[in-house]
Amino acid sequence: MIQKTGHGDMKLTLEVWRQAAPGAPGKFETYEVDANEHMSFLEMLDVLNQQLVERGEEPVVFEHDCREGICGSCNLTIDGKPHGPRERTTVCQLHMREYRSGDRIRIEPWRANAFPIVKDLMVDRSAFDRIQQAGGYVSVNTGAAPDAHAIPVAKQNADMAFDAAQCIGCGACVAACPNASAMLFTSAKVSQFTLLPQGQPERERRVLAMVETMDEEGFGNCSNHYECEAACPKAISVTNIARMNREYARASLKRR
Amino acid sequence: MNPFVRFLTSSIGRKYVMAVTGLSLTLFLLVHMAGNLTIYAGNQAFNDYADLLESNPLLPLAEAGLAGLFLVHVAFAVGLIARNKTSREEGYKAELGMGRKTVASTTMWVTGPLLLVFLLIHIWDFRIAKELVEEYDLAEMVVERLKSPIGFGIYVTAIALVGLHMWHAFQSAFQTLGVAHPRYRALITHTGRLITALLVAGFGGIPFYLFFLG
Repeated sequence: MIQKTGHGDMKLTLEVWRQAAPGAPGKFETYEVDANEHMSFLEMLDVLNQQLVERGEEPVVFEHDCREGICGSCNLTIDGKPHGPRERTTVCQLHMREYRSGDRIRIEPWRANAFPIVKDLMVDRSAFDRIQQAGGYVSVNTGAAPDAHAIPVAKQNADMAFDAAQCIGCGACVAACPNASAMLFTSAKVSQFTLLPQGQPERERRVLAMVETMDEEGFGNCSNHYECEAACPKAISVTNIARMNREYARASLKRR
Repeated sequence: MNPFVRFLTSSIGRKYVMAVTGLSLTLFLLVHMAGNLTIYAGNQAFNDYADLLESNPLLPLAEAGLAGLFLVHVAFAVGLIARNKTSREEGYKAELGMGRKTVASTTMWVTGPLLLVFLLIHIWDFRIAKELVEEYDLAEMVVERLKSPIGFGIYVTAIALVGLHMWHAFQSAFQTLGVAHPRYRALITHTGRLITALLVAGFGGIPFYLFFLG
């Protein structure tokens, strides 16, 4: 479809967190940007960056990759809400039709000690990688791939495991948590494997190692506000946290 | 490291301790409230109930256990809060919120210490003060304390704080302990609110009864 010129155009005022380097003092810079309601939020930021480059200013650093809601890179807190105002939506899937011309939008990075700011709106989420490395895997024998149906899995468990496996590791749970806790992420990764027969050999070792790594990384403790569940673009349920707590207690009892 | 120590120093282990001690204290509060209700039957009934408790040789043991529960609950809370308040050193400039947290859930760290202050006042009022006199009439002490505007204010405020604290705490404890099956979640939440309402009504009715009608 050919878009008529000017249809859906909007003028926005952005307050964007600018920070030159990790640990450097940061502040909000205000920018005016011409956008269109058919743009995604990231495309709107692309337009802003184009404007900045043309003016000889440094573009805003923000992380992005797939732009189709599955990579978990676009970690922006928009007006105090991780991933913006829409439920179950990553920033790349948030469209400017959510806004009206003349709106003022405040954009910040995730804020947590465990997610240090790299530059502007980009944070280092490698703490999540280290939690994953501690136990987010299953052991499989080498050789020919086993038949997909070789190990029966109850439908209900397969569904719950799949729901947990939808976690894209974006870190919105940490960003939204008043305590910057990573328990929703960690519990999703623990649940995904614990619910499946393939995850049983490392069941205890996994939850102990992942929780210990999570604690070492400097995340806060869960105090059951459930803000994480509301912020999660994949709607990962807090019942996973309860499952992780059970699993951790069970594994601690069985630990030698 | 000893597995038990490792559990108690982990984030989840510490939350388990909070949940177990918290639920135990809730049970204690329900029994305490039931005992308090005897004051509606008159001063004599209240004093008889107090005598019954005090004549039990196991009372010091129960008191020590109760003090232990409170101490552990407070000590672990201090550790958890300290960690939670420092896990985001540079805070958000815009107000963070997805709309799920509640006044009760975000003020646990305020209502907790305030309840501790009240607890010390309360222990002084009805546990230590009577040790300093030769003879006492506990019911009279209660009536006197709650008929004074300051005493009435302190006790009514404290009961409101208990209600606020409990509103979040009950379902939170079950979630921490891993009892959060979707089928039982509503039941747990409503049971918690019912217990909170019972505690507030049971404890809270007495100061109003004594202050306005006593």
